[in-house]
Amino acid sequence: MRCKTIGSRRRAKKLRPTTTKKKSIKLRGSLYRIIRQIKKEFKLLWTDKFNLILAIIIPPVVILLFGSMLNAIPPTPQPVPCVVISYDSNTIINPNNYTESRINNYTIPYVNAVNKSELLKLEHFYNASEEIYAMETARMQLISGKIKVIISIPTDFSEFIIWGLPALIDCIPDSSDVQHIQDNLNAVYDSVKIFINENNLTPQFIIQGYEEFAIPEGYSLRFNYNATLLLSFIAFGVSMVLTILVVVQEKPVARLLLTPVKRTEILLSKYFAYMLVLVLQIILLIISTMVCGLYLVGSLLNFFLALYIVGFSGLSMGLFISSISKTKTEANQLFFAFMIVILLLSGIFIPIDAMPIYLQVFAYILPLSHGDPMIKSVVTKGKSVFGFDFYVLLGISFLFLIISFIIFKKRRYEV
Amino acid sequence: MVEVNNLNVIFGKAHIVHNVSFTVNEGEVIGLFGISGAGKTTIIRVLTCQIDKKNWNGNVRVTGLSPANKKNHPKILSNIGYVPQLELLNLYFELSPLVNVEVFTSTYGMSKKQARRIAKELFEILDIPKDTWKKRVKHMSGGEKKRLSMAIGLIHNPNVLFLDEPTTGVDASKRYDILSYLKKLNKKLKTTMFIITHDLEAALICDKTAILREGKLLEFETPQKLILSLPSEGLVARFTVENLNEELIDMIKKFEPIRKVLRVGNEVIEILMDDFEQNLPNLIQFLINKGIKIKSMSRDIASFRRFFQIRIQEEEEKEKTLN
Repeated sequence: MRCKTIGSRRRAKKLRPTTTKKKSIKLRGSLYRIIRQIKKEFKLLWTDKFNLILAIIIPPVVILLFGSMLNAIPPTPQPVPCVVISYDSNTIINPNNYTESRINNYTIPYVNAVNKSELLKLEHFYNASEEIYAMETARMQLISGKIKVIISIPTDFSEFIIWGLPALIDCIPDSSDVQHIQDNLNAVYDSVKIFINENNLTPQFIIQGYEEFAIPEGYSLRFNYNATLLLSFIAFGVSMVLTILVVVQEKPVARLLLTPVKRTEILLSKYFAYMLVLVLQIILLIISTMVCGLYLVGSLLNFFLALYIVGFSGLSMGLFISSISKTKTEANQLFFAFMIVILLLSGIFIPIDAMPIYLQVFAYILPLSHGDPMIKSVVTKGKSVFGFDFYVLLGISFLFLIISFIIFKKRRYEV
Repeated sequence: MVEVNNLNVIFGKAHIVHNVSFTVNEGEVIGLFGISGAGKTTIIRVLTCQIDKKNWNGNVRVTGLSPANKKNHPKILSNIGYVPQLELLNLYFELSPLVNVEVFTSTYGMSKKQARRIAKELFEILDIPKDTWKKRVKHMSGGEKKRLSMAIGLIHNPNVLFLDEPTTGVDASKRYDILSYLKKLNKKLKTTMFIITHDLEAALICDKTAILREGKLLEFETPQKLILSLPSEGLVARFTVENLNEELIDMIKKFEPIRKVLRVGNEVIEILMDDFEQNLPNLIQFLINKGIKIKSMSRDIASFRRFFQIRIQEEEEKEKTLN
């Protein structure tokens, strides 16, 4: 009897799981539950295919976009567009013997050297004696961004060279683009080098730099440059992020539509409300940048309008995203996709002109590609806001506004 | 107030509503009952201008205007109110009840002052606590939100108010409160009300009840008349039977005057039969003779719930015999 009891106890002990076995059973149970939960997550993901596709496709698209942009950039730098103004042919009265001087032997050779330089692209040559408003015209070109540097040949340029004296070249680079001032000056040096070599001259040249659109002392050059860069992104980004959920998250719209209110009235009221918020946002943005020491060349009104139109395009895009999205997640995903493409193609990372043609076309229909240069030209050059970029931005904004209205009118609401 | 003649709703190949006709007079409370997919909500969607004319045909008039004509929509929508099933679809949770009211009243062209005055009246009738009027809706209880939703539906004094499942999500003890509030509002404001519901208790406040099944209108009458249309004017015998099973039920059904045996509990059945008073003693004798052990018995008048159950069962049986 005793033996039987011991035997049965042993059997029972054998049947009872040991601590290790218990742990393994627990682990297997936990693993099983995790696997089931993972499966559930995938099933849930699969219910929103659009989101899944966006999440999977956006990263490679961004990389492909970035790759194609960078690969398209030529290994040699882009030539700097310039104009040359020559005052060398002007009549000079020699103060010693009162004779007239009309020496301009070296003007054309220098212009040829500019033409030969791979770092410069001569847009125009002005002979100041024939075109008295040459400098004004050139400055207008500098403001518009068509050229990056004005090379001015002074009156006694050829005489100095003949007399063996150090010759002077006036160079007026566009200093609103801080990162490229040195590139512009280097390009002018290159033309001088070619000029010296080709004309067997001794290298006695002074390039007198005069920075057009430079900011006065007491202001931070670095802040001025970076703030203008940042302003377009802030104005665009904040208004867009504010509006991406406006339509998609408002559930009582379905009930509102069972009152005499019309869909267009609902969307219009959203536009007007957020346009007013944008006024406040832009005013605060201007105040904060001014407090931080932004040197504004243009008028405050132009500055406000420039920022406002950029913000308005962001607002229109945000409402467009909100109108086409079915869920909040979808709206957030689309915002991310839009923002990253707009950022990449805005010309900040790579100049738009250096992009492949197909990307250039795409870049020019995006708001920031116009917003950034527009704000820069108002802040640093004092240009009027009412230019090509402004009207393009207005067009883009209204295009998205119209599309949003069409989509919102067709959006299905049920209570 | 509302006239519906031969209403058919078709979406692609799906025929959702079949030849539905009914007329509702001013101040009546109508209950639309039916199991899911019966077409209750679809009918209401037609009446509230939510379904495009291409998807429905028939002669429909709401406050004398046809929803078939798009030009009538603003007028119809001004004349009606709607209380959705989910408060989420009706209320801005981040705003206060008073601001919510203002949002909706502005769509009817009412001034802020007028809106506040009516809102306060309605809030008082509906017992919405005064301290919640200016707080965010999200802090209100479920029942308060429901009542606020009703107030918003009634804020512009509509001729017709549509309520989608007003008692859903409300705990059992509060359900009757909601129904009594509705009746109170109906009496005070003389508003015609349409109540779409699964909750058969709602029939208690209805002047007329419509029973729908698979898009067909089976009944449209006062609940009293419907109950009276049952055998012996709705008198039922309720038995608690030991070891009740399907075999026993089949055996009981053999008693000839019986018209319907309904199992209403684990051991409880309700019996409807012809000449109730005369046949009840005979039925008891029949059960004893068959050796059926009766634990208890009582007699009652059938509720609307029973009528609904019987009517739906009949329809299902009819369908089975046809197939």
